[in-house]
Amino acid sequence: MKPLPIAASTMTNACGVGTIDVRSALIRGESGLTRNDFEPAAVLDTWIGRVLEIDTVRVASKHALYDCRNNQLAQLALVQDDFPVAVEAAAQRYGRDRIGVFVGTSTSGILATELAFRAGSLNVSGAGEALSSDLYRYRHSMMATTEFVRSYLGLAGVALTISTACTSSAKVFGAAARAIAAGQCMAAVVGGVDSLALSTLFGFHSLSLLSRHACRPFAADRDGISIGEAAGFALLDPGGDSDVRVVGVGESSDAYHMSTPHPDGAGAAGAMRAALRDAQLAAGDIDYVNLHGTASRANDIAEDRALVDVFGTGTPVSSTKGATGHTLGAAGVTEALIAALALREQWMPGTTNCARVDPELASAVLLLPHSQRLLRVMTNSFGFGGTNCSLVLEGGR
Amino acid sequence: MIGIALGGIGVCAPGMADWQEARTLLRSPEAQPSDRFPKVAPSWLPAIERRRANTTSRLAVAAAMQAVRDLPSAEVARMPTVFSSADGDGEVLTTMLVALAQPKVALSPTLFHNSVFNAPPGYWGLAAQSNAPSTAVSAGNASFAAGLREVHAQIIATQAPVLYIACDVTRSIIFRDASTAPAPFACALRLLPADAAQPAGGQYLDGWFIDMDEDGANAARMDELPGPFAGNPSAMALRLLAAVANEKAAVIRLPYLDNSWLTIRYFP
Repeated sequence: MKPLPIAASTMTNACGVGTIDVRSALIRGESGLTRNDFEPAAVLDTWIGRVLEIDTVRVASKHALYDCRNNQLAQLALVQDDFPVAVEAAAQRYGRDRIGVFVGTSTSGILATELAFRAGSLNVSGAGEALSSDLYRYRHSMMATTEFVRSYLGLAGVALTISTACTSSAKVFGAAARAIAAGQCMAAVVGGVDSLALSTLFGFHSLSLLSRHACRPFAADRDGISIGEAAGFALLDPGGDSDVRVVGVGESSDAYHMSTPHPDGAGAAGAMRAALRDAQLAAGDIDYVNLHGTASRANDIAEDRALVDVFGTGTPVSSTKGATGHTLGAAGVTEALIAALALREQWMPGTTNCARVDPELASAVLLLPHSQRLLRVMTNSFGFGGTNCSLVLEGGR
Repeated sequence: MIGIALGGIGVCAPGMADWQEARTLLRSPEAQPSDRFPKVAPSWLPAIERRRANTTSRLAVAAAMQAVRDLPSAEVARMPTVFSSADGDGEVLTTMLVALAQPKVALSPTLFHNSVFNAPPGYWGLAAQSNAPSTAVSAGNASFAAGLREVHAQIIATQAPVLYIACDVTRSIIFRDASTAPAPFACALRLLPADAAQPAGGQYLDGWFIDMDEDGANAARMDELPGPFAGNPSAMALRLLAAVANEKAAVIRLPYLDNSWLTIRYFP
């Protein structure tokens, strides 16, 4: 692909609000995970990556119809790091209708409907009020957050939501790159937003995938995932000047099982190789890999096998999910922006919460943050439905 | 603008078990589809997945199978997939919301994995044994048009065929009045770069462009779709399929964002 500069970016998750806070937590090896207190799912004995500041946010009155946890999180993230200023400058340069918006989410604002159902104010049919079309359209529907972000930033170009479970906001980079190459837009805002919801907490519990601790990716004693919430956004501007560029996107499918990865990581390896091909690079050109690394037993084994297959055992890798939690549809962009930070500042994050690497895993897992010369890095995202997406980022000028 | 050729079509909806039935209906404007729900037990899926698959996935896989019926399986497996839907599977959503509202919540693992928006392309990947990329996109009532734009961009990027699947199974939960809930609808289009199509006998879509039309006077509206499908965003495909069925050149306008329209010229 043609290198695509990341002209501006911002991220918010359990580690902090805005890039500087997230950076500080990662450098110090701190985890943003806390014991689950998210009502009415607090009955689940697990840890979560909660963004406490969401509770103080209401979406701007102009967009009051969109007010829900997912859009509050989107707005909280959007206003950090002077992101709207950079988008506005691009809008002035290209025109509002020439900037696309591509947002990944797994569940959008489903929590709004879940809570209404529990409150008994809605039911399926017959007695009681059916789901209001406004609640559904502006808060819950798959397009709700994308539409809110586009409207909040005052953009009027092409837009869509990608919802491919935990690869959603990795795939937005590919969709935006293709839309720009096809002339559908001149630049693009890409992002991912997923907030805590009952369906995901109880859903992962039903699969026995929730950790009873703060999750410990790639650790010998890992026992499952910690769900987190997050939002992240990037302005991709082919005409921009940036010290970090997206240079490869690789996508693949497992064709194995709906919720379990291929045991040998065949699909994951396919996505990594496709990203290298897209970037016209060899495995040896990659200096660091930010793992999908969810801390589920099966996922980490599959990813490790895929890494060994593609890179051997020498390339440094780490998972930041012990710090942020698994932020599902926001994980792709969150980890792409952590990888961008690594390139910009020449250090690699550690694997927070992992005290001892599982001896059955062969990859060179970094436990602690480590400074090193980095030119190109990869970030991995895999998800339900057997969906895989790897991105390659390049630093320097 | 690059032309795009239409290589194969699949339809799966009440009264339209396949493209042959849909074509017959679309050729007679007075005809109303029956509400007979097609038998959908996609034989391509392994038995266990066939039992687990939700309605959206069954309809989507059935439509996709029709659209690639004439191709060798290795070629099908190589084809990237774009899935679009406004609302995903309203049946699964409703069941899940009811379960989550119980005092003691117990979700079934199958229900949860079926609730992911990309379940249909996931099942299609299993059915076709495909490791090719697949994506799942949504844009409210503009979903069908937005998915076509993604297909267009992919074809420009790869110069290779893409399988486009659109499906909505909306239910009363999404509508204030349950009686207005439209019938489910799925279709699949095998789309390829025009210059790769057979020089004769190819069917072309050309010149997609966005067309602002504030009053929408001339555009297809969702409530103009055949009776049971009015209000089903994926069924906007019927505008395009009607032109194909009647083998007539046509200008088709599909709802896009902000009262704009995606305009497609169709040449049989």
